[in-house]
Amino acid sequence: MQALIERIGRSVGGVVGTLFQAGRDAVDLCLKTIIPFMAFVTFVIGLILETGVGDAIANGIKGFASSLGGLMIVCIICAIPVLSPLLGPGAVIAQIVGVLIGTEIGRGNIDVSMALPALFAINPQVGCDFVPVGLALGEAEPETVTVGVPAVLTSRMITGPISVVVGYLFALGL
Amino acid sequence: MDALVAGAEAFIQVFRTAADVFVGFTTGIIPIVVVFLTAVNALVKFIGEERVEGFAKWASQEGAIYMPVRYTLLPFVAVFMLTNPVCYTFGTFLPEKHKPAFYDSAVSFVHPITGIFPHANGGELFVWLGIAAGVEIVAPDMVTALAVRYLLAGLVVILIRGIVTDIIYNIMTSRRAGVE
Repeated sequence: MQALIERIGRSVGGVVGTLFQAGRDAVDLCLKTIIPFMAFVTFVIGLILETGVGDAIANGIKGFASSLGGLMIVCIICAIPVLSPLLGPGAVIAQIVGVLIGTEIGRGNIDVSMALPALFAINPQVGCDFVPVGLALGEAEPETVTVGVPAVLTSRMITGPISVVVGYLFALGL
Repeated sequence: MDALVAGAEAFIQVFRTAADVFVGFTTGIIPIVVVFLTAVNALVKFIGEERVEGFAKWASQEGAIYMPVRYTLLPFVAVFMLTNPVCYTFGTFLPEKHKPAFYDSAVSFVHPITGIFPHANGGELFVWLGIAAGVEIVAPDMVTALAVRYLLAGLVVILIRGIVTDIIYNIMTSRRAGVE
């Protein structure tokens, strides 16, 4: 009987402990990464909405983000193998452009149907800065890294525009 | 004097608007992310590393038949369970020649997944949230549908990326071998 009580007590304690640790990790991530980035992003949104900067950017973006062809051009530029590793780090560029386009969608300047293709168009450079590290995490040989980096970067030139088209097709009937 | 006041007013207005947006994000996004993160973190621990690794070994096999598994299911599980950037360690289980394609596939999924599973890449939520915030204003009932479609489109895109990168990697290796 005592053994049973002990076992129940232990396993409940284990579950609670795991959940508590999970909660701690979650709040940690929120405080250390999500909220700081949110502060930065909201400041940018405030600037866009309240100053003339917004209208200037809007006019620039609108031309590109309101048609499939325009998004394609943005995507191809972001995917150029020399640029993509520079645009990649922390997805900061993609996040800022995401906020800019989102703000314009909110103001009605860009149609909602462009949201999904835009999500892919602003992001063909994802992880292009991280290829050697990512491959090292997967315990790839140095040879694989040497060929793998240009292979991924080149592949993005092809798959970037394709991803915009896929996004466009998936947005149909939304 | 009036001009000065107007200037100050315009200046402070930027921060008032920013603060309003910040409050909106804090009440709208943070609670759900925290609760969700907690649940998934716990789930991942309960499932355990061994079971996940067993799956990874099965899904990493060579051959064209495993292609859809290797470049959709495996990156999905990797990103969902291990989150960015630990998910790339799944590359360990793959044959050497598929590692670049797997990396390409996995890394391309770290944003499409955030629409529904924000825990997977908590540090880079605003690719999705930036655009979703705009959609939320114009068509609030469409946001979830958009998130689902973003995820599905993401799966199609990472499959294409995996296949294309595999082909390009093969061409490049054989060329190098030819030169040497």
